[in-house]
Amino acid sequence: MKNRLKVLRAERDWSQAKLAELLDVSRQTINAIETGKYDPSLPLAFKIAFLFGLQIEEIFEPGNEG
Amino acid sequence: MNTTEGRVPDAELRKNIFAGGLMGAAYGLLIGVGTDRSLMLTVITGILFGIAIGFRFSVRPPKMRYPMYMARRIAYTASFFLLSSTIYSYLIDLDLSRLQIVLTTLLPTVGWAALVISIGMAIANLDELQRRIQTEAIAIAFGGTAIFVGSYALLQFAGFAQINVGVVVLIMSLMWLVGKLWTMWRYR
Repeated sequence: MKNRLKVLRAERDWSQAKLAELLDVSRQTINAIETGKYDPSLPLAFKIAFLFGLQIEEIFEPGNEG
Repeated sequence: MNTTEGRVPDAELRKNIFAGGLMGAAYGLLIGVGTDRSLMLTVITGILFGIAIGFRFSVRPPKMRYPMYMARRIAYTASFFLLSSTIYSYLIDLDLSRLQIVLTTLLPTVGWAALVISIGMAIANLDELQRRIQTEAIAIAFGGTAIFVGSYALLQFAGFAQINVGVVVLIMSLMWLVGKLWTMWRYR
């Protein structure tokens, strides 16, 4: 799954640590999501979408897996 | 909430140093009693080592994001386990009845159970990726230990010495660590 998390974070000038704190997860988790190594759970995806004031599909989109 | 991620306030630093020092002292005591070395030397060495760990843990926290009090709880239960093991190794040398031997032998089990439960509670408080890392690491440890035990059971038929169950626990712990490092590297 692809995502725009890094772009959205950069637009707000937030560090990974700051975003991690806002979402109550580890910085490692933010990094893994941004690099596409980990797909977040639905509750975390909703939390991310709510934080950025967007719909989930505006942040995440299907990758090669369809 | 203070977590193990990010620099901690001074009050937390002091608590971490105390927890580390206590665990180090308990470890030093166990080593001293178990090896008949100078208790003073082993305990002081243990305390200094524990303080260093507590300090390092506070100023350069690990990647795992445990709530700080839970990380300290692990140190306290580990201290309790080490102390109960020390009491065990002292009592077991005395002239005890069969029942007393059984009770003495089971004494460290209480500390061991407390340690395992506190680690489980800390894992339950991790975020979703880190819980996945721990789950995969535990699966690797379980699989690796099963292969080791299965292989060694066959080797015993070929005349290899019987193995202490404690060694199996040690191997499982080491494989857990290796599994954790491996999965953390995968999600780095």
